[in-house]
Amino acid sequence: MSYDCAEVASQIYLYLDQEELTWWQRMRIRWHLKECPPCADGFAFEEKLIAKVGSDCVDDMPQELEERLLTFIREHADDETVG
Amino acid sequence: MADQATFEDDVREYLPQLYSAALRMTRNPADAEDVLQEALLKAFRGYHTFRAGTNLKAWLYRIVTNTYINRYRKQNRRPDEVELGELEDLYLFKRLGDADGGASRSAELEALDEFVDEDVKAAVEALPENFRLPVLLADVEGFAYKEIAEIMDIPIGTVMSRLHRGRKALQRALWRIAEERGITGASSE
Repeated sequence: MSYDCAEVASQIYLYLDQEELTWWQRMRIRWHLKECPPCADGFAFEEKLIAKVGSDCVDDMPQELEERLLTFIREHADDETVG
Repeated sequence: MADQATFEDDVREYLPQLYSAALRMTRNPADAEDVLQEALLKAFRGYHTFRAGTNLKAWLYRIVTNTYINRYRKQNRRPDEVELGELEDLYLFKRLGDADGGASRSAELEALDEFVDEDVKAAVEALPENFRLPVLLADVEGFAYKEIAEIMDIPIGTVMSRLHRGRKALQRALWRIAEERGITGASSE
């Protein structure tokens, strides 16, 4: 038995994240997506958006900053006091 | 048990990611550097407690996250109490589809490309802290729910609801940006 559109939409993130759902629940979602192009489009959209958030939120770290941080650690390496 | 002598070599590869994460948390480079500096010193001093062979990335994120939260909580007493209101499933997908008038099937997917990375960063940074952190940890850093629960020290059910609600709120923020910019037929008129 397949889920309806609302049931499928409510489980979209668990499905995409591959978390929590049983094998059987995943199968029922997959059956629904096969029969329902609008839901399949919605899932593809959410998947693409999550990937986009991941790739768009990356900043280049200035090389000087990396050196500054590592130098800071070296300079404080011998401090015996625990911060 | 990890050796302090190898600390620099061990953590160097994670520094750029940690910096990006600290930027999204603090929303500005000066504060991100402060958080990172304090967190790295804590990590260095506590490195003997890290068990070699376990997840170093998660261990470092836990320290950076805690450092950020501790600093933040000194400024704002109750950052956890923010709520987001009603959030529907497939929020942005539905709106971009309506704006397009249902002209073509993959229009929503293509419309996503019109958001530049500054839009996405702004939308992430617009999220309240308790929703922003799970979204960052899951979608930017790729941690599983269980790892996020350990990093943030909250139950897995809380991770789930905040991550899911945070993603929907992010879509609402993106839609607002689309309206302001007039992306793909979206209009604030």
